[in-house]
Amino acid sequence: MLTQMHVRGLMFDPYTNAYIIILRDDSNAEMLPIWVGKPEASAISFAMEGVSTPRPMTHDLMKTMLDTADAKVISVVVTDLKENTYYARVHLLYEDSEYSIDARPSDAIALALRVKTPIFVNDDVIRKHSNEEMDRWLENLKPEDFGKFDA
Amino acid sequence: MMETGLVKLTVQGVMPDAIPNSDSQVVILQDENKAHTLPIWVGVAEGTAIRLAMEGVIPPRPLSHDLIRNLTEQLGLKISKVVVTDVKNTTYYASIYLSSKQSELTVDSRPSDAIALAVRTSSPIYVAQDVLDRLAPENVDPWLKMLGAKEFGGTV
Repeated sequence: MLTQMHVRGLMFDPYTNAYIIILRDDSNAEMLPIWVGKPEASAISFAMEGVSTPRPMTHDLMKTMLDTADAKVISVVVTDLKENTYYARVHLLYEDSEYSIDARPSDAIALALRVKTPIFVNDDVIRKHSNEEMDRWLENLKPEDFGKFDA
Repeated sequence: MMETGLVKLTVQGVMPDAIPNSDSQVVILQDENKAHTLPIWVGVAEGTAIRLAMEGVIPPRPLSHDLIRNLTEQLGLKISKVVVTDVKNTTYYASIYLSSKQSELTVDSRPSDAIALAVRTSSPIYVAQDVLDRLAPENVDPWLKMLGAKEFGGTV
């Protein structure tokens, strides 16, 4: 099952020195944070804010190349989460055939915002995300975190 | 004008900008006879994208230009060449030539993206003779000295 999500925001994470894209579904029931690098974050923020740069940025070029070739992006899907790495696919229609191409979620989302196609997330990813987050939280627990309510 | 008067260049290296703490890098292009040198200032992300491809680094996940290469390859489009076409107020312009079964398409691009794609697809890089003619020697000479002085890692 796929859930459609929207980019709700972009945050800076001072602990990892990276940026976090916040995806949310329409009902705000599910949330998915995805860590991205600075160039990818700026590619996404330009598209979110509708900033047009004097020269085409990399994802603008990606869009123009696809437009020029008459290839249409149908959707992008965040498909998997393995060892803290998110995987995505870009689905395209070109000359009556469908194509699905492996991408980082950051590139897929930067492209989706420019071509105005929906972003979907595989429900497994949302589930795995909650599990991995729980694992990380458990791993980071220190002995002193236990029994802090005794006193 | 586009078809005649093009000079073929190869990327000699990506170097840090001479200005300390600059967030730019410089891509150095030269023709076969080393008669012409073209330095092009690019952002750090774009410079890194070019350098990684030159060094043959295969990243665990596709970077943005790898994705563009994969997109064009899977759709059966071929990047036949990239051309640095113009320079206006220190901004360089480039075109990417895409060939499909039916036609040849041209897409406007920053030279950094065009070069990052060319080094990934082994496509030739050209510059308009006109652009070379307008280069001021004082902009090129320092880079020629550095080219002579330094060994570049991973030339194409």
